[in-house]
Amino acid sequence: MTTPGPSPEHDPLLLCYCTDLTIGQLREACRAGTWPLPGKERTGKLCTGCLGDFLLCLDRFSAAAGNARADR
Amino acid sequence: MSSSSALCSATFVDPGYDHLVELVHQRDRAAHRRLEALELELYEPGGASLGRMAVDTRQETLDLAALVAARAPGVARVMVTFDARYDSRVFPYRPHHYAYLKLRDSPDAPLYYAVNATLGGVPERIEAVTRQNNFETYLFLSRPAGERYGLRLGNLARFSPVEAQVITFHGEARAVVPVTLAPHQHADVELPLEREGARLRRVELKTLFRLASYVTGRRADSGGLVLFDHLFTYFK
Repeated sequence: MTTPGPSPEHDPLLLCYCTDLTIGQLREACRAGTWPLPGKERTGKLCTGCLGDFLLCLDRFSAAAGNARADR
Repeated sequence: MSSSSALCSATFVDPGYDHLVELVHQRDRAAHRRLEALELELYEPGGASLGRMAVDTRQETLDLAALVAARAPGVARVMVTFDARYDSRVFPYRPHHYAYLKLRDSPDAPLYYAVNATLGGVPERIEAVTRQNNFETYLFLSRPAGERYGLRLGNLARFSPVEAQVITFHGEARAVVPVTLAPHQHADVELPLEREGARLRRVELKTLFRLASYVTGRRADSGGLVLFDHLFTYFK
């Protein structure tokens, strides 16, 4: 089963309801190589409800950041 | 909103029931003021959105049956998410929404339940984080409440599908039912009341991440709900 991933229009949405992390914050942290952000380290580990989306976003944002670095 | 805490709960709505939701269980006026925002979203069983709407947080009780009937007429089962933002001072008490559920024109007693808190709710501050809350269980009474049991599951993820395991225990017999749910898809999983002469005693739910989940029990004749309850986390 494949699903569309997060696009920039999703950036304002709350990804982790426990640590108050938005999709855009995770995208930017991955781009800048600063993940995990201070205070957001427990993302995905508390209520666990966001864990699927968190891992999916982390994977795709990290891959995108790696590709961007490789293209430089 | 920066000082807000977020909680996203979910329930399921069947046609033919009175279904009222108390938006803030705390009875004092200050508690109402601390519910800063609430948005509901409705999903059909396949996961497609049937609409998102803001709710007036000043109202005490929401007629969920009427709202769903107006927005999603004819849909047999609708998952409703309650995306709430609270003033953080309301915690560590977790402000569940509580609900009243009753089949219309039925002599059965109404059911009361806490709407399943699925995302957020600062679990570390209510000491729930020591529990592995994506593994859940439910023990059935030896004298069954209903003649048909089920497990109602909803995936609140926006992007990620989930593969869940529903494990039933009839005496010593253990059976595993795999359930795959796309984002916002929801399903009813039938739990056989008996297997090889043994009664259903327990059900377990194991998933990568927490789902919206309820155990249901129904009358064989009317199909009316006589049990609608959340499961319990069991690993500490």
